[in-house]
Amino acid sequence: MKSPFLALASVAALAISLAAGPATAEDAGIIVYNAQHESLAKEWAEGFTRDTGIKVTLRNGGDSDFSNQIVAEGASSPADVFLTENSPAMVLVENAGLFAPVDADTLAQVPRDYQAASAKWVGVAARSTVFAYNTTKLKADQLPKSMLDLADPSWKGRWAASPSGADFQAIVSALLQLKGEAATADWLKAMKENFTAYKGNSTVMKAVNAGEIEGGLIYHYYYFGDQAKTGENSKNVALHYFKNQDPGAFVSVSGGGVLASSKHPKEAQAFLKWVTGKGGQEILKNGTSFEYAVGKGADSNPKLVPLADLQAPKVDATTLNSKKVTDLMTAAGLL
Amino acid sequence: MQSAVDLARSGLPPRMRRRAQRRAAPWLVAAAIFVSLLALLPLAFIIWIAVQTGWETVSALVFRPRVGELVVNTGLLVLLAVPIAITLSVTLAWLTERSNLPGARLWSWLCVAPLAIPAFVHSYAWITMVPGLHGLWAGVLVSVIAYFPFLYLPVSAALRRLDPALEDAAAALGLGPWRVFWRVVLPQLRLAICGGSLLVGLHLLAEYGLYVFIRFDTFTTAIVDQFQSTFNGPAANMLAGVLVTCCFVLLGLEVLVRGEERYARVGSGAARYQQRMNLSRATLPSLLLLVVTTLLALGVPFVTIGRWLIAGGADVWRLDEIGLALGQTLFLSLAGALLATVAAMPMAWISIRAPGPLQRLLEGCNYIVGSLPGVVIALALVTITVRIAMPLYQTLFTILVAYSLMFLPRALVSLRASIAQAPVELERAAASLGRRPLNALWSTTIRLSAPGAAAGMALVALGIMNELTATQMLAPNGTRTLAMAFWSYSGEIDYASAAPYAFIMVAMSLPLTWLLYVQSKRMAGR
Amino acid sequence: MSFLELGNLHKHYGPVAALAGVDLNVASGSRTAIVGPSGCGKTTLLRLIAGFEAPDQGRIVLDGQVLANGGAAVPAHRRGIGVVAQDGALFPHLTISDNIGFGMGRDDDRRAERIVELAYIVGLDKAILKRRPHELSGGQQQRVALARAMAMKPRLMLLDEPFSALDTGLRASMRKAVAELLEAAGITTILVTHDQAEALSFASQVAVMRDGKFSQVGTPRELYLKPKDRMIAEFLGDAIILPASISGGFANSPLGRIAVDTSDSRDIARIMLRPEQIGLKRTSREGMSGTPDMLFGEVTESEFAGSTCTIAVRLLNNADPPDAAAIGNTPLILRKSGMDAPAVGEIVRLTVSGKAHVFA
Repeated sequence: MKSPFLALASVAALAISLAAGPATAEDAGIIVYNAQHESLAKEWAEGFTRDTGIKVTLRNGGDSDFSNQIVAEGASSPADVFLTENSPAMVLVENAGLFAPVDADTLAQVPRDYQAASAKWVGVAARSTVFAYNTTKLKADQLPKSMLDLADPSWKGRWAASPSGADFQAIVSALLQLKGEAATADWLKAMKENFTAYKGNSTVMKAVNAGEIEGGLIYHYYYFGDQAKTGENSKNVALHYFKNQDPGAFVSVSGGGVLASSKHPKEAQAFLKWVTGKGGQEILKNGTSFEYAVGKGADSNPKLVPLADLQAPKVDATTLNSKKVTDLMTAAGLL
Repeated sequence: MQSAVDLARSGLPPRMRRRAQRRAAPWLVAAAIFVSLLALLPLAFIIWIAVQTGWETVSALVFRPRVGELVVNTGLLVLLAVPIAITLSVTLAWLTERSNLPGARLWSWLCVAPLAIPAFVHSYAWITMVPGLHGLWAGVLVSVIAYFPFLYLPVSAALRRLDPALEDAAAALGLGPWRVFWRVVLPQLRLAICGGSLLVGLHLLAEYGLYVFIRFDTFTTAIVDQFQSTFNGPAANMLAGVLVTCCFVLLGLEVLVRGEERYARVGSGAARYQQRMNLSRATLPSLLLLVVTTLLALGVPFVTIGRWLIAGGADVWRLDEIGLALGQTLFLSLAGALLATVAAMPMAWISIRAPGPLQRLLEGCNYIVGSLPGVVIALALVTITVRIAMPLYQTLFTILVAYSLMFLPRALVSLRASIAQAPVELERAAASLGRRPLNALWSTTIRLSAPGAAAGMALVALGIMNELTATQMLAPNGTRTLAMAFWSYSGEIDYASAAPYAFIMVAMSLPLTWLLYVQSKRMAGR
Repeated sequence: MSFLELGNLHKHYGPVAALAGVDLNVASGSRTAIVGPSGCGKTTLLRLIAGFEAPDQGRIVLDGQVLANGGAAVPAHRRGIGVVAQDGALFPHLTISDNIGFGMGRDDDRRAERIVELAYIVGLDKAILKRRPHELSGGQQQRVALARAMAMKPRLMLLDEPFSALDTGLRASMRKAVAELLEAAGITTILVTHDQAEALSFASQVAVMRDGKFSQVGTPRELYLKPKDRMIAEFLGDAIILPASISGGFANSPLGRIAVDTSDSRDIARIMLRPEQIGLKRTSREGMSGTPDMLFGEVTESEFAGSTCTIAVRLLNNADPPDAAAIGNTPLILRKSGMDAPAVGEIVRLTVSGKAHVFA
């Protein structure tokens, strides 16, 4: 560069390119705040783009940070669609009044059990709570009858969870709805004494498999996903379903919603419709996610225990309170 | 993740301020003040949030058992890892610089090379080798391995600069080799040890990925947990406040221990060439120490990455995905480095050409912010942009500003050293030949300091390339850097798919680390 | 009897021989100067005596104790030999007081008292004891270094060019002060220097070193007036070297008939005069006539430098030297008092006082 002016010009050019960055991303299609597994969301996005030609930009993160982020961003959120793994995050955004109503024909594709009563968001998939245990360390008769048993001192140092993840927090939110605040706070306090914290459900399962810990509270699909690959992290693992309407048999609904502030509402609604429709639900059945399909008439992967056999407790997904849960967990010293 | 004060800071001779005071151009001062105020933004933000939240909530969020746990964890980590790293680095530096160890030059490079491996990749390697590894001692082990070069570099440079005549004098006064080391050599390494320890300590406070792998909770991991649970909730911000306090405690401790001393060489004659001590029977154990250190710090990561690459085969090389991540990482690194260097220029120029109390104050602001963990800076910028500067939210601009704040000291130190070597007379000569001030500055000082600026940029780029937490929180939609991709795959226990990213990060960092090594040699005059 | 004996010391650095067979005897309580051009090996010799390095071959015996014999050497910290280095080598992290007390036991009751005493002996003000080395002037630093070395009551003191970093004026006074101090303390001293004036004025014995060997050892007077060869002669001061034939205690030279310090007879020899042996007397061309046995010259150059004046004198008449061609018309370079030096073009009469030295 021969002169300061050229240098300044190049800095200015850089600045312009920075400013232009997000603009081009908007023009190119819809932005999805994706809290679902990246691989699943990627398959959905690619399938949708293939069928409709609409481009999808994914921003990957977690349920809680995205839901809080959307609330903080308010009306100026860059997001068009929000996909989660669990319902509490959807509830948080819904309560902030930031969702647009879901199109009727999308709602028609999903049973009423798996959508918000307000019709502001819709289920896109589901997952079941399980107790994954090491088969060499625990026999079937030694398994906890209820998730609540894990608060017993006899379980001290023997089980694991990933408390910072939204998955586990969703389980706690179900517990909160089913058993009330006092019982939940007590259980969390006992949990702090008894459990070992890992970061991420995969890590929990890996530790169970390696025999570092006897068992862990996670969702079912981590096991099937690993089995479908090499089984390296699950060969010593079996799943225990609590059933009996136990809080530990909670089935969490993954949600999808369109932001009221979306600048591409038509495309965003189309995306949601595609995900809950045949294309999206087939991916759940045939893909490597092993989450339950929730669409009407859509089958889940045959390797899974059928959704109907899980004897899940009746939980009203639209009132799951994520704020209260993080407060309780923060108070218990888990966060 | 390498926020923080620069390495070279501890390696530099006491400030070079021999030049006469000179008034700086007002626009330069204005630019420097602007950059410094921008740098103070995150700090001001935390205070503002604390005030807004109200004392009751703040105390409820700060004075609770969980914070106590984190204080104990973080404190123990620093108290254990730093002394161990000091002992290891001083021993290694002495062996490579002052003994007749076979292959000393090669070993000295190998002692710096672990810097090319991001801390979270070290951790990833260890968790692969020893799956159950966790807790405090695991944290200490991996931290020491990942960060000891930050101490090794300044200590070995200081050792090289020591005047051997002092050791001779002490021996002539009746002190045996050990006592000479304790009473003469070690005290003179104090500045280097203080600077290096501060750097290591700040990294321990700021690191996230390393401790997640081995399940060790520190303030930073807890802040990220809170962020993931509540986004920018008050709990996260209050934890950040406590973390910032910890950083200040470290900075204060360093100032206290370092004191106002300068151990410049007294006298004028040229220093004699240093003699290397004959290790004789200690050669084998010494070699063993170096072999073990190298195996732990380089062998474990390389073997692990290699193992996963072989296990993953051709499938893990998803070239389109990797190419995209590589391109984005390179772009962010270069743009961030450029911005940081441009932002550092006014400050660097003033600190050499027109030093004074104002300049010292401004410079202090930059160092303090540079020592804050990336997560704190990111959290502040997220909240600020969301609340009052929405158009800047999630833009390239904001992430580059974050990078600049985090890594400004690196650019500043390199620039300052090279401007100090560009005589001011040239600038005046250019002015007397009719160039306007900006033009005169450009055609002399800026040109001459280009090598230093390039070195500074390389250091900043190295930091950005391996940055994870701030990038995750601030990056524009659709961004996926090498570090992010690595983190996402390793989070799903897909270690094989993560391996190519680790490999590329290391491969790109190695030349930059080499540059750092060469530069530290040159600064010591050899 | 000699206090320090060096016997056939050799030291190599790779292929370079720093010392190639050094022998020296130093008497107890004496002062010896080792002088030589830089790179001659004098500092290496000092380091061997101090024990910082071991010789490849040879012996060092101090007061009957063998300090080094071939590769086996007593380490420096067990030798009790004081060293004062070129720039003092003060410990920058310690106060002056701690520097001086460095070699004393830390629980020595009289430590503080002795530090003050030593500071007084080397002429340091008590007030500077609390300061740091970088706050001191070069001369003060050297005094501290000396006090520090004396604190351990060394058997032998080694001074490694301790005055070279000082200003010219300070250098001479420091040298004198240090010489007196060490004399009073009765400490045997070896000074290493490249400054011949310093060596000659400081020591009772001077050793001239060249290429890792002593080329001559003797008293300052001996060395100055009777150097073994031309190089030593010129190293120790200005020399006028002339071809001559000698017989019967006289030389027949371009400067005429001059008394010499030998009674040998040789047809071809080289004699040396120190310039200060040649006296000049102003005269004129007229004054030259009729005095064939006298020596005249013309001043061709004169360079005024304050107290002295360097002048070049071309010989005018020539009393039939054996090989006149060898000297030809090369002028003699003389240094005279600046007060009263002859100007260019003036005719002077030259006289020689004392005896000329004949090189073997």
